[in-house]
Amino acid sequence: MRKPEFIYISYIETTPEKLWEALTSSEFTKRYWWNTAAVSDWKVGSPFSLVMDGMTTDVGEILEADRPRRLSYTFHHLLSEAARKERPTKVVFNLEPYGKLVKLTLTHEDFEEGSVILDGISNGWPAILSSLKSMLESGTALVIPPPCLGIEGLNRS
Amino acid sequence: MSKPEFVHTTYIETTPEKLWHALTDGDFTERYWFGHRVASDWEIGSPYKFTRQGKNTIEGKVLAFEPPKRLSYTWDNLSPETKHERTSRVTFDLEPRGKVVKLTVTHDNLDEGGKTFRDISGGWPMVIASLKSLLETGHALPTDLSGDAAQEKTDA
Repeated sequence: MRKPEFIYISYIETTPEKLWEALTSSEFTKRYWWNTAAVSDWKVGSPFSLVMDGMTTDVGEILEADRPRRLSYTFHHLLSEAARKERPTKVVFNLEPYGKLVKLTLTHEDFEEGSVILDGISNGWPAILSSLKSMLESGTALVIPPPCLGIEGLNRS
Repeated sequence: MSKPEFVHTTYIETTPEKLWHALTDGDFTERYWFGHRVASDWEIGSPYKFTRQGKNTIEGKVLAFEPPKRLSYTWDNLSPETKHERTSRVTFDLEPRGKVVKLTVTHDNLDEGGKTFRDISGGWPMVIASLKSLLETGHALPTDLSGDAAQEKTDA
């Protein structure tokens, strides 16, 4: 039986450096990630957090930061009691030059059996990464209704 | 154990009608699907096929045609390496989400560990990324992709 994991691949007409910037600059992330700031100094072992409209939704620790190729952090969702009780999961971004494009592979893994956040992140990442691609290619992020994020605690608003 | 399936979801700034046209019009698919033209009369049960440079690459029959919400067809890759594999199924679901459209591609009924499964897992993200770029920016992703890309794009 395979362990549950979520993999998403996209091809973006940009450079690895610009994509790295888009993943790690909080000014950038706020534009395509529903006003969510990714906050860290991006050094291995440093803390990482996602802050949406001033509310910390997720925290973790930087595992790898090999600019502009590979970024990895642990990911612990805070907005529900059940999620807080789970062990942190792991997020990995791989950036590979692909002709004039960059192939972006997101892997979210190490979920507990029956994890309550797997559904949410499976809905959230495609929306976030679609908006990121739009922003880098057309200059404008997408306006997707927040429930598509699948973040428990935000869906009812 | 469930059979393997591949699901890929994207959000595109367009209308369901434009996206529907992009999925069902041969002149349009040729632009983003790395040269593949689709052709069918789109009646339920009718045959459809993809051709590339005049050569048939994929064929099947239409299972669902509900514009602009749901399109489904069977999928037989005509390359010699996959001819022995079972006929699989592709379904496109289009859902308006505010000013964007959520597109979900589901490819199922695949052979466990088969070549088709490997090929389409690599191919769909590329085709859908190119489709999104074309609808949003007016140009598809460049086709001068090399190596593995050339193989993947031929197969999905």
